[in-house]
Amino acid sequence: MIWATIGDIFSIFFALAGMFFMFVGAIGVVRLPDAYNRLHATSKCSTLGIMGLALAAVFHVGTLAVTTKAIMTVVFAFVASPVGSHMLAKAAHIDGMKPWDRQLSDELQQDKDRQSGKSPSNAPRGLNAPTQAKGAKPAGPDPTARMSAAV
Amino acid sequence: MNALCSTILMLAQETAGHGAAAADGHVASPLQPVLFFILELGAILAIVGMMLCLYRMVKGPHLADRVLSGDTLAYQVVGLVILLTVRMESTTYLDGALVVAIIGFASTLAFAQYIGNLKRQTNP
Repeated sequence: MIWATIGDIFSIFFALAGMFFMFVGAIGVVRLPDAYNRLHATSKCSTLGIMGLALAAVFHVGTLAVTTKAIMTVVFAFVASPVGSHMLAKAAHIDGMKPWDRQLSDELQQDKDRQSGKSPSNAPRGLNAPTQAKGAKPAGPDPTARMSAAV
Repeated sequence: MNALCSTILMLAQETAGHGAAAADGHVASPLQPVLFFILELGAILAIVGMMLCLYRMVKGPHLADRVLSGDTLAYQVVGLVILLTVRMESTTYLDGALVVAIIGFASTLAFAQYIGNLKRQTNP
C-alpha cells in the first residue's frame, strides 16, 4: 500500500515531466523559425519526453518485463534521435536549404568554401561581423582554418 | 477423469486469476485516480502535439521540415503508447512503442539520404 503510493507519486511526477517535454517539442516544431532550430526542439521531445513517460510506466507498473522494454525504448531513443537529427541537418545543408535570415554564421558553409578554394562566400553577420572584418586579410592565423586543414 | 478435468480447470483458473492479479499489480494506491486523470490529460496533450506536427508537415517550406515533423509525430505516438501502457498496466503495448520508434528512425534516415542526394541527381 505504502510502496504503491510512493510509486504513484514518482509516476505522477515523471508523467507530468514527460508530457511537458513532449508538448514543448511539438510547440517548438511549429513555432521555431528554421529547420535547424526545429531539429533542436525535436531532440528535446524524443529524449526527455520519452524518458519521463517510460519512467512513469516503470514506477507505476513495475514488473520486470515493463522495466526491460522501457529501458530498451529509452536507450534506442537516446541513440537514434541525435543520429537522425545530424543526418537530416547535414542533408538539408547539402540540399541548400535557405537558413533563417537572422542567422549569425554558417561555419559548415565556410569550411566547405575554404576547402574548395574560394573565399568564404557568406560572411557572418551580426555578432561575428566585426571580428571577421578585422581578420579579413587572407592566410591569417584562423583557428577554423587550422581545424579544417587538420581534418 | 472428471475430477482430473475439474482440477485442471481449477488450476487454469488459478493461473489466469494469478496472471490478472499480477497485471493489476499491487493494491491500488489512493493516488491512482489522480494518475489516471493525468494520463487522460497527457493523451489530450499528445493528440494536440500530433496536430501541431501535422500542421508543420503540411506547411513546412522545405522537405526537411516535413521529415522532421514526421519524426516528431512518431515520437508523439510512442509517448501515447507508453501512456496507454501505464493506463492499462499491461506489458504488451511497449513492444508497439519500440516498433514505432524504430520505424520512425529508419524513415528519418531514408528521407535524409534522399534529401542529401536530391541536388546531385537534379543537376550533376
